Amino acid sequence: MLTIKDLHARVGEKEILKGINLNVKEGEIHAIMGPNGSGKSTLSSVLAGRDTFEVTSGEVVLDGKNLLELSPEERSWAGVFLGFQYPIEIPGVSNVNFMKSAVNEHRKQKGLEPLSSAQFLKLMREKMAIVGMDSSFSSRGVNVGFSGGEKKRNEIFQMAMLEPRLAILDETDSGLDVDALRIVATGVNNLKRPDNAFIVITHYQRLLDYIVPDVVHILYKGKIIKTAGKELALEVEQRGYDWLING
Amino acid sequence: MGELNYIYAPESPLTEQFRCRVPMKGTRQLFLVNGGVQGTTAPLNISLGEGQVMEDILQVISVRTEGAPLEISYRNTLHFGKGSQARILLCSHTFTLDKFKTEEDVDITLEDDAVVDVVVMQNEHNEAVHNARFNIKVGAGASIKVSFLTLHGGSIENKIQVNIDGERGNVDLSGLYLVDGNQFVSNVVEMRHNVADCTSSQLFKGVLDNESSARFSGIIYVKQDAQRIDAYQANHNLLLSDKARIHTEPQLEIYADDVKCSHGATIGRLDENELFYLRSRGIPMKEAKILQQMAFAYSVLEKISNSELRERMENLVEKRLRGEFSNCKECSKNCC
Repeated sequence: MLTIKDLHARVGEKEILKGINLNVKEGEIHAIMGPNGSGKSTLSSVLAGRDTFEVTSGEVVLDGKNLLELSPEERSWAGVFLGFQYPIEIPGVSNVNFMKSAVNEHRKQKGLEPLSSAQFLKLMREKMAIVGMDSSFSSRGVNVGFSGGEKKRNEIFQMAMLEPRLAILDETDSGLDVDALRIVATGVNNLKRPDNAFIVITHYQRLLDYIVPDVVHILYKGKIIKTAGKELALEVEQRGYDWLING
Repeated sequence: MGELNYIYAPESPLTEQFRCRVPMKGTRQLFLVNGGVQGTTAPLNISLGEGQVMEDILQVISVRTEGAPLEISYRNTLHFGKGSQARILLCSHTFTLDKFKTEEDVDITLEDDAVVDVVVMQNEHNEAVHNARFNIKVGAGASIKVSFLTLHGGSIENKIQVNIDGERGNVDLSGLYLVDGNQFVSNVVEMRHNVADCTSSQLFKGVLDNESSARFSGIIYVKQDAQRIDAYQANHNLLLSDKARIHTEPQLEIYADDVKCSHGATIGRLDENELFYLRSRGIPMKEAKILQQMAFAYSVLEKISNSELRERMENLVEKRLRGEFSNCKECSKNCC
């Protein structure tokens, strides 16, 4: 479903991704772990189409489409969703207007009529329930005045609304207490289907107690240095990264 | 009863043409045709007596029509007696592309404890020149809120002088100006605190595109012995092109020592992080930018207390930002 081949990317003169190779199949959850500065967030930004990073070589193909040729919105329509590590606050744009625009753009791309207000609000209520968000959030500005946990829930809620084929969650666990972590993980597990896939980027094993990955990758200095099953995450938790880096 | 009788004046065939097909609920409309009240040449003169409460919103629609003199000047007078209450919507429109020049004086006086809410909507055309001078006097315990929505015009200048002459007077001014092409908008505010224990607030925001330009100049003046004043002033601008120009001059002139006055001005561009966030959810760049601009405009629009009027204004602003001619779909002349 997703194939990344020899992906190189840089910011200015500094090369951050130095040849990433990754294959993700339908129904899989991949975890990408690694120490700070290894390039985890750069990879997620490059996949979502952030233009602060320059892709110098390689390819990223999702369902036969070359993602690197697409704008961020076209990638979203193609089924890519990035859960931001630091969700952006947009004062003055309400959550409801934001999601209505997004959902209806997705429908437009599929040749579907926009949802009526009633249909949309019903959908929004259903999806907010998945992440335990209070309905009062819908009229508030996007992420404005939200706590860290509320922002992350809002990311999962948006994911539920857009039903992406490939969701990339960039350190969704950072800044979450155990309760919020459980809610976010339950949201992800509810949305997991045989025809979609997740890439979960995380610093710690903790999240992977709740979201069980099929494959774990260790990213270090812009390259994947080890790939194994879920037991690799536990090993990292116990032994740290040094044995991988020096081994 | 004050001089409100002519609100009930019969429609002339001319004004009938311009009537909104579906006026807002609870709104009374009055037309000012080329500076004269419908069917007359008299300027607008509204006076509310002591304690008089105008339930309906009074919408004064000022239109410039074909064949009328290109340059006109007139003075509108709005007088609100002690404890009276009113809501006024002043709209100015042009219906032909003649190079109109309008010199307008608007005198607004609030006696003690009057409460008045005014929305000024300026929606003219690229060649229209409109110089308006608002002269506002506020008595003790009186409160006025004025929102200036400058949506379209060749050159529109609002000179707003406010004298707060009675204690506990309260003034809330806000403005939103949207300029593109070669348009120019100027708002010059002089907020004069002449007595103690009063409050004032100014929030003016502008979106500038292409080679347009705008000016904001605001002064908060606090007279000697006018203590315990709380005054605020802000001007924020969003530049969408490299060639748009904004000149902003926030100023304070304070002769009392126990006051709280603050002012600030910003000039910026659309936030790239917000834009990427919106696009990453599938909102196309153009739409995302409109959302950002609407968000920018929101803090001014939310000051309009009547929800139906606010929605209409939001609609007009959105259409304007989309580059469509601003008009309500309900209107027969597609004007207001």
